[in-house]
Order: sequence, then structure tokens, then C-alpha cells
Amino acid sequence: MATLSAAWMYQDRGLGPVDYSDDFITRKPNFNRFQTSFLGSFPTGILQTRFRLNNLLRRTSSVRRIKCEKNDELPEYVSVERPPYYSYFDSASGQLEPASGARASIPGEEYWPEGTASRVRAARAPEPTGESTGSPSYGKHPGSRRKKYKASVRARSSEVSVESSASLEPEVSEDATEDPKESSSEYVVYETESKAEGETEYELDKKLGRPHPFIDPKVRKPIEEPLSSEELWWNWRKSDKEQWSRWQRRRPDVETVFLKAMAETGQIKLYGEHPTLTETALYRARRHLFKEERLKAEQERLERIGPIAYYSEWVKAWKRDTSREAIQKHYEETVWGGDPVYPTVNYIQDPDEVIDYRGPDFHEPTPNMLDYLKEHGKVISREELEEILAKEKTEEVEMTDMDEAMAQAVDIGEKDEEGEDSDLDADADDEEEKITRNWSVLKSTPQLQKSKAKPKKDGPMSLEEAVDDSENLTDFLLDFDEED
Amino acid sequence: MAISVPLHQLTYSFFSNPQWKWCAKPSYSFSNNSQNNIRAIKASVETPPFPLFQNPKLEETPADGLEPADPDFYKIGYVRSMRAYGVEFKEGPDGFGVFASKDIEPRRRARLVMQIPLELMLTIRQKLPWMFFPDIVPLGHPIFDIINSTDPETDWDLRLACLLLYAFDQDDNFWQLYGDFLPNADECTSLLLATEEDLMELQDPNLASTMREQQKRAREFWEKNWHSGVPLKIKRLAHDPERFIWAVSIAQSRCINMQVRIGALVQDANMLIPYADMLNHSFQPNCFFHWRFKDRMLEVMVNAGQHVRRGEEMTVNYMHGQMNDMLMQRYGFSSPVNPWNVIQFSGDARIHLDSFLSVFNISGLPEEYYHNSKISSDEESFIDGAVIAAARTLPTWSDGDVPLVPSIERKAVKELQEECRQMLAEFPTTSKQDQKMLDSMKEPRRTLEAAIKYRLHRKLFIDKVIKALDIYQDRILF
Repeated sequence: MATLSAAWMYQDRGLGPVDYSDDFITRKPNFNRFQTSFLGSFPTGILQTRFRLNNLLRRTSSVRRIKCEKNDELPEYVSVERPPYYSYFDSASGQLEPASGARASIPGEEYWPEGTASRVRAARAPEPTGESTGSPSYGKHPGSRRKKYKASVRARSSEVSVESSASLEPEVSEDATEDPKESSSEYVVYETESKAEGETEYELDKKLGRPHPFIDPKVRKPIEEPLSSEELWWNWRKSDKEQWSRWQRRRPDVETVFLKAMAETGQIKLYGEHPTLTETALYRARRHLFKEERLKAEQERLERIGPIAYYSEWVKAWKRDTSREAIQKHYEETVWGGDPVYPTVNYIQDPDEVIDYRGPDFHEPTPNMLDYLKEHGKVISREELEEILAKEKTEEVEMTDMDEAMAQAVDIGEKDEEGEDSDLDADADDEEEKITRNWSVLKSTPQLQKSKAKPKKDGPMSLEEAVDDSENLTDFLLDFDEED
Repeated sequence: MAISVPLHQLTYSFFSNPQWKWCAKPSYSFSNNSQNNIRAIKASVETPPFPLFQNPKLEETPADGLEPADPDFYKIGYVRSMRAYGVEFKEGPDGFGVFASKDIEPRRRARLVMQIPLELMLTIRQKLPWMFFPDIVPLGHPIFDIINSTDPETDWDLRLACLLLYAFDQDDNFWQLYGDFLPNADECTSLLLATEEDLMELQDPNLASTMREQQKRAREFWEKNWHSGVPLKIKRLAHDPERFIWAVSIAQSRCINMQVRIGALVQDANMLIPYADMLNHSFQPNCFFHWRFKDRMLEVMVNAGQHVRRGEEMTVNYMHGQMNDMLMQRYGFSSPVNPWNVIQFSGDARIHLDSFLSVFNISGLPEEYYHNSKISSDEESFIDGAVIAAARTLPTWSDGDVPLVPSIERKAVKELQEECRQMLAEFPTTSKQDQKMLDSMKEPRRTLEAAIKYRLHRKLFIDKVIKALDIYQDRILF
């Protein structure tokens, strides 16, 4: 911590202790400025150091103050934001971890896809160190960088004088190794680098591990006017890319949008940035009430000044007097409906009105249905009915006489039967007359009589007529003697 | 401690498995002695340093002459996203090698040690249509026509050589930088660069004739395609046939043939891979190559369950199941403990396979014989790849449970030994003479050294077979 503060001091070019006690407490804690480099694990002592330096910078710049959006003189403690850190040291693993995002930890080697292990190993393989003494010949002299020459030198040196070989040997062997160590030396010598002159004291400090500032003072540039937030490379504006999709933003609702807009223009004051549910409900209620009020006021105005006056701004054609008396006068003169918009205002009906459709003889009792039906010809009396039926009956009798004559004329061969037939016919007539009294109307219709009498007259009748005529099959039994 | 020595210069490297200590280390005494001489001289001259101020010697001149390689070697790759994990490149008198810089515990899964991206490699598909990864050959360039004119079956090394020379010429190509670390014509041990004298020193007429054919083929190719009328674009790639033949030898000895999948295509490719070709050969390798299709990287991985100590060399099996002459022809080195060495025995003498194997505690299938250290209690420093090769190449009989008849066995052993001695006698020189010749030569030509070592190894192998038969004879139980 001490070194860090010292570093900070260095960065400020060693400004002396400045009196910054007055507004260092009231300043808004500007966490934003030091976000990426300082993580949450800093003790407050350093934070305070930072604040002091913050003020120092402000004082030294003295050109521009950091301006707020709302241009408030008094910094209002408007909102409580969460500290916007994006990463922290995970308590479990001790590694740096992002605050947001569902990044799982990198799996171990067993889970790597095939080939990853070899690639990782290839990447981790250490680079070869060492300087080569030869240089490539690019295909011209193959074998030029092999060491056979030195081997041959070594072999030859055994014949040459003893001392020279001894001196050759270390040289030859040294060519192979990198460091020019003197093999005959008896003491360890610390070699001083030839670059000592080329090194500044800063570099020396750095190399030797002494405390040094972060930036070489000769290289360091003076701090200029602070950049605007656009220019800063660690731009603290929250981008909308923070969420990975636009679907994650707040959904606009009519009420929330208007509330926010009104808050921004200053019409209303919200508790925070965004309207809460309570505020929204309040807004909704107020809006409703206001609407009702407006409507009521309008209605009242309409009633007060009359429709023509009320609508006069829409009805440009009416330039005359719009008061109620004038309209009434006009209405009487020209049987014209007073209200231009609702011309039926004179004919306003009460929707709940129960209309009475009862006529003048409302108080009459229930009428006589029979007389009513008779009147309308739906019902006839019995006598009339019988008259009608009798009329129908007489026609029928004439017809049977004709039939009898027809029957006598045709069949000569069956005189006996004719006589019986005639007797029978006479009986049948009487019987028929008797029958007609008892039988229904339908039975005594002439059509039916005709069908019954007809087969007796015709001599050769067809099979179907015979079947129709017969009561049952016994009629076809021709042995009348047995019957008699 | 078995010294493993980088490949391209002289010999193979034998892996420092404690069971595989081999007693005869004649070939390395040359370099060791020179080192010792130097060190002795040094000690006598300097005052005995005060212990507190004494620089630890290990860092400057380690015992086996290995020094860390030029730091630029790894740096040019690191910048192009090549990575080496836990290994460092060291250079000794015999060339480059890859050594572990820290202990690696035995794990169930193979550990990644190096990864090299495709962009640093030079790759040609083995079959038509030839595809280059990365595609550095422009379509209209005459080098493409040259590559096109090669035989798709057999001329893969010529194609790779053309590509390598073109890469040296192309600006911004990684091989312009990496080429400085390749062995040049003086250091390369490939027999393509050998003179007639060296080929005579091989004492192997077949191999000599094969190498002569290869040389002729390479030279003819150069003459055909780099004649005087050829455009400058081509001419400046290889001004003289020696450069071209050197490129062919590099291509042959450093090519890695792998089946890689690039994109959707699985192809056999001939690849020149920058840092992976600095790994040396061993018959018990530490590491293997794996192509990571996902990001087109070649991974050099330590075998699963392999315990690697700090300073151990990382090795790969170059060719499986080939004799020394194949190794010599292709890579320019040979090994006395090649478990695939073959001796052609004539005659009917056969020994009992099962008893031979049990004498030396060799177990496994014939394709993969190994020395079973769990069975053998005492330290068997005699048994190495040569004994395994003997088990494979000696004529044997095995008939279920039929036991051996010791007298017949002894007779057979004697016959075989006789035959081996005859073979040794056929050589103009003995192994001791060869060894002395190697020691006496100072600064020999690399190819000459390789040739002498080749024949020396051959004789050592036959020697070993004789000795093994002796031991077998002693230990026949009856």
C-alpha cells in the first residue's frame, strides 16, 4: 500500500501536500474513474488516497469542472446505484471472475476436444534459446553448419604442441557453449553489463528491483486537460450492448414512457430514474379523474350556453347570435331542429321508457272467439254444413240410376243376376241412404259411390277392377248355390 | 555403457539395454582413444582446479564427444511449428543424434517426442500420379518433366533427389536452411559416393557390383537430364554430377517410406522429413514414427512402456529384417549385431534348434527372437543380435520331442565351425587386421571407413557364430 501511494504520488509529479480537507468529504464518490484497474478488494485507505488525488487533479487542471447532466449546483443524492464493477476476485477459486455473465469455468483436459491437448502443448513448448555462430548458406553449401570442422580441429590438435592444444581445447569447447566463460579462472566474476551507460537510472531501478515509478519520468508526458467521456478509451457510458439482446430492455408502456418523459422535462418528480408501480397507478388514476372532470365541465358548458353556441366553432356557417332565445325564435320560425349535431334532441326518447300500446278500447273484456271466427268465415254452423252436404248427396243419387240403366242394357246373359242386382240395388240405395246418415261425410261422397257401383254395371271388367271391387277373395268364389 | 553413434557416418547404434552389452567394442576405441588422449593432455597441463570453482566438465565436453547441436538447428524448426519435447539434438564426431534430455517413465501409451509438420517435409507419392506435399513444384517447371520421366516403380530416389535439389533452389524453402545440417559429400557415408577403391575394400563382390550399378544409374540420369542444353533453371540445381549423386545418396539414406493419409487419400509416400531423419538406427528401437492425420504432422513417439533415461539416444528401426548388405547399400552403415544377418551354409550339418535356443535363453517366434533375460540369471553379456542371427541362420533341425543325440550334435557343430572358419579364411584380411587398419587411419574418407567397417562386422559376425557354437557345444546337456 505504501508503494502504491508512493506510485500515485509519483504520477502526480510529486505535488506537495495540498490542503484538501474542505470538500473531499462532500465530493461525490466517483467510483467510475478507476474501475478497471482497481477491483473491489482495495482497502478504504487507498480510496481516500485516490479521492485526494482526484481533488488534486481537479485543482491542478482548474479549467473545467466535471459537469453533471442535470446541472445541479447542489449535488443531490438522487439515486443509489449499485457499484458498477464488472469483475471481482472469486472467493471460491481466488481467480478473477466477471460479475455478470454465465461464463462457466474452463473445463480440464479430459473435456477438451481432440487435438487441443497437443496444440496446447505445442504452444507451451519453450522457445529455443541460444545464439548460433554460423549463418545459413541457403542451399549453396549443404553441411556447412555441422561441427565436423571443429571435431577435425580437435583431432588435429592432439598432435600439435601440448600447450596449444590445451588452449585450443577450451576455445573449441567454448564455441559450443554460449557464455564465454574462462575455464582457467579461479574466481567467480560478476560481469557488469556493457549497457550500463545506455541505461537510465529508471531502468536500473527497474532491473534491480528498487522502488520506481510506473512510468519512466523522461518518457512520461504531462497530464493535459482531462478528456471528455467520448474520448476516454475506458468510456464509462453504459452501452446498450451490455445485455446481449435488445429484448432484455425495459418494455415501453404508455404510462411509463409518459411518466419518464414528464420527469425528464421536469413536470413531475419521480423517486428514481424509472417510474414505479405506485407512481404509474397514481398517474393512471389522476388521468382518469382529469378526463372525467374535463368531460363534466364540457357537458356543463354545453348545457349552459346551448348547443349552437357550443358547436359554433365547428359550425362556421352560423355567424349569427347563438344564444338560447335567438335559437328558440329561429326554431319557431322555421320548424328547424335546434341542435346541429344532434338534430333529434327534440325527439330524445328515454331508453328506459315503457311505451303503452293500448288502444281506445283498452278496457274491453276478452271478445267472443266463436262470433269472431264466424264473422271472419272461419267457422260455419252445423245447419249450413248439412245443407252443403245434402246438396252433394242429391247429385249422387242421379248417378246411380244411370248406372242401373247402364247395367241392364249391357249384360243380357245375366238377367237373373240383373234382377237380383236391381233388387239389390234398390236395397242398396236404401241402405245407402241409411248409411249416409250414419257414415261420415267422406264415405258418402259421390266419388266413392261411383267406384262401388261401377263394377256391377260393367260386364267384362278388368282384373284390377275386380280385385278392387272385391271385399275379399271370397268374392271370387262363383258357387252361389252353396251360399244360398 | 554402449555408445550409440549416429548413423550416417559409420555404423549403427546399439541400444544400451543392459542385457545386450557386447564385450567387443573395437570399433569405438578409435574415437575414444582420441578423446582420451586429448583429455589426458589437458589434465596434465592445467593446474588441478579448486573444487569449488571447477566447471562441470559434462556440460562442455561430455565423455562421448557429444555436444549440443547448433541452436539454430532447432530454432528454424520451432519457428515453423515443429516441436521437440524432452529431447535435444547433439552432435558428435560421427554426426547428429537425438538424445533424451529427461527421464521418461514407462507409460501405457506412447509418448510424443517430436512433431514435424507437413510443410517442412518433401514428400512424393510412390505411385502415379505423383503428388507432392507440400506442392512446391510448379507445373510448368522443367524439373517436373524430369520427375515425370522417371520410372514409377524404381526411380523413387532419383525423384526425391530432384525434389531436394529444387527445394535447395527455391527461396523461402525450409530445406535451404536445413540443408546446412545435412552431411555434405565428405561426411556422407553412402556408398554412392564411394570410389572404386572403397568398393574394393568392401570385400563383398555382390555389394560392390550393386553399388557400381547404382552409381552408374545416378550418373546416367544426371547426364541425360542435365546435359549442356538444359535451361539454367535446371542447370543451377546440380552443376556437377557429384552434387546430384550426393543428393541421391541423401535421398536414399534419409528417405522415410510411410503410408500416410492426406486428405481422403491414403498413399505410400517417400518422405524426406527434417528432424526425424536425425534419428539413428537400432535393432531395439526406442521410438517409432506415427503420422497424425489430423494436422498432418509426423510424430516421433517413444514406445509404450519404454523407460528412457536422460541422455539415452532415441533410435528407430530403419529397415526390418534385412542383412547388413542391404543396410549398407541403402543407408551406408552396417552392424555387427544385426539379428538378421545370414550366412549361407552348405552341407547337411544341422544342430538342434530347441537346445540352441535354450542354451542362450532365446525365446520367441523365429521372426522375433529375443533374449529372455528373465530366465537367465547371471549376466550374459555375450548374447546380442549376432547370436540371434546365428539362431536364425544356422541350419537347424527340430522334430517335436525328439531329443538330440549329443555326438551327432557335436559333429554337426564341428562341421559348421569348420565352414565358418573357411569363410573367414576366404577374406583377404582378418578382423584384427581390419581393426588395426581402422585405428591407424587418421581422417579416413567416410566411405572408406564405412567399407572397412562393413567387412569387419561381417568377420565379427562369423567369429561370433563360431563362439556361439562353442558355447553351445559346452552346454549340451545329456
